Amino acid sequence: MRQSWAGPRLAGAFLLAASVAILIAVTAIPGRGGYGTAGPRFVPLIVAIGLIVLSALFLLRTWWRPDVELAQRSAEEDDATHWATPGLIMLALLVYAFALEPVGYPIATALVFVAVARVLGSQALVRDVLAGLVLGFGLFTAFTQYLGVSLPAGLTPIF
Amino acid sequence: MTTLAVLSDLIDGFGTVLTPENLAFAAIGVLLGTFVGVLPGIGPALTIALLLPITFNFEEPTGAFIMFAGIYFGGMYGGSTTSILLNTPGESASVATAIEGYEMAKRGRGGPALATAAVGSFVAGTIGILLLTFLAEPVADLAVQLQPPDYFALTVLAFVSVTALVGRSLIRGLLSLFIGLFIGLVGIDQVSGQSRLTFGVDELNNGVDVVLVAVGLFAVGEALYVASRLRHRGEDELLEVEGAKTLGREDVRRSWRPWLRGTALGFPFGAMPTGGAEIPTFLSYALERRLARGKAREEFGKGAIEGVAGPEAANNAAFTGVLVPLLTIGIPTSATAAILVAAFQIFDLQPGPQLFTKEPDLVWALIASLYVGNVMLLLLNLPLVRLWVKVLEIPREALTAGILVFATLGVYSISGSVTELIVMYVIGVLGFFMRRFDFPVAPVILGVILGPLMEAQFRRTLLVSDGDFGAFLERPFAVALFVLALLALILPVAVSSVRRVRGLGEED
Repeated sequence: MRQSWAGPRLAGAFLLAASVAILIAVTAIPGRGGYGTAGPRFVPLIVAIGLIVLSALFLLRTWWRPDVELAQRSAEEDDATHWATPGLIMLALLVYAFALEPVGYPIATALVFVAVARVLGSQALVRDVLAGLVLGFGLFTAFTQYLGVSLPAGLTPIF
Repeated sequence: MTTLAVLSDLIDGFGTVLTPENLAFAAIGVLLGTFVGVLPGIGPALTIALLLPITFNFEEPTGAFIMFAGIYFGGMYGGSTTSILLNTPGESASVATAIEGYEMAKRGRGGPALATAAVGSFVAGTIGILLLTFLAEPVADLAVQLQPPDYFALTVLAFVSVTALVGRSLIRGLLSLFIGLFIGLVGIDQVSGQSRLTFGVDELNNGVDVVLVAVGLFAVGEALYVASRLRHRGEDELLEVEGAKTLGREDVRRSWRPWLRGTALGFPFGAMPTGGAEIPTFLSYALERRLARGKAREEFGKGAIEGVAGPEAANNAAFTGVLVPLLTIGIPTSATAAILVAAFQIFDLQPGPQLFTKEPDLVWALIASLYVGNVMLLLLNLPLVRLWVKVLEIPREALTAGILVFATLGVYSISGSVTELIVMYVIGVLGFFMRRFDFPVAPVILGVILGPLMEAQFRRTLLVSDGDFGAFLERPFAVALFVLALLALILPVAVSSVRRVRGLGEED
């Protein structure tokens, strides 16, 4: 079976870099505080060092005693992955989060539903729009009127 | 604590639960739980996380917990339906069910497979709840005597067992755990009031809610993963339920022993501080396969009913068993239990030994509602199988879009903050890559919820001992737990090393 090491190595390098960043953030926590021997920095320090050691081990095992199973899985994933799809979905979600309050829950939800369904290859535009509107307005009504959860109305024409 | 006293407490519990209103809550819980649990890729932990907001407006916790008991059982049953008909288990505990269940459905025996799962879950659930009823108070009485070092050791054992015994790589398991521990540290330190690891974002001072982590990892991560492969892979084939819908005499004859054996494996595994339902379901599968004789032996691999009955019972019994450490000691040992802690916290309740003394009515009402939820599940779901199959016919695009809408709704209802939505989406991206590189997800959830508890007990121990680390080794109970944790960590590695030396195993 084919093997791909680029993915695991990138993941390992990212984890290691993130762990180092966490360690730097940990050093900003004052070591003394409250009372007792172990201050607020003690456990974060252990966690940060643990993360660094484990990320380094993960990275190391792409060369030394390589984890072949993972490389094969990674190769299979590389072949199967269509990067644009999850990328566009993330974009839709980010727009959704920022549009939620100005645009309002019902309309933003209907829009994101249609957008995500389209990105995933849905051809049934009418069905998606209807389902999105039902979801958006239905959930908004149920949560704000009956469940006591407040959701942003924004530009919602009714209510 | 005598049997009689337990029964009297339990009857009081039923008195609280058996009102028309509460029965309606139980029914709604079962229906919603099954509905969400049936959706492909959604396991019980995510089911509960997504349905948490429904109870925000409840004035008193009893009704909410009755509904959650229904959701808990419904979510599990829904997951097995998906495993059997679509071969997409929502979580690792349903994987064993899918092996024979999907084969049965392929051969037109989907009806009996679903029925043996439902009845097996009911049998295992009932026995499990009975055991919980009689174990709960004695264990809670013992738990009152636990001291900080013991609690610290318990959390360590729970961590080690969830990472070392599950998943294919110890390094990746531990990395998952440490990522969880890190997320759990973000926010104001409970002891000193010091703000930690917020990276300048004020909203993070309140910490990162475990619900947000679970929804991000399970819902968004899974949705992105499915999306990335959608163009490559064809649709999963949804199998029809044809022929017999219920268990025939022969099916019952072949199922009842696996139900009981599965229960006997599942409950103790779930009830131990190591927790988890994965191991007992696979053990049950292996056991049934080994014990199979005659026709069953020929059928294994091609859809043997024993291979569904056993693991399903084990799964349900383990899930009930998990409630023992959760309710009595306050330690969640599975992702689902961790989300249940979040449900308790909505009502300012902390599961653990104090709950039995402070809120005995609530605890017994909760235990009674487990019985009610379990019966309700059987009554509602056997006739409703057709409806749940319809749910599976929702097109995958609409389903994924819907899951993302519900994930966002769940987190926004809890936090009301766009920043936390962004955090949840980022955790979703993390979940996507974790799936890609085969990192287990459950250790992250446990790290988030148990990390702060572990830190508190760790620092409390050092405070009492005035900085002497020897304090951790002075309590025999704690030492025993540390030894168990060490064994769990070393044994799998040692076994595989010995195998390698002997030239066996590890086919790479």
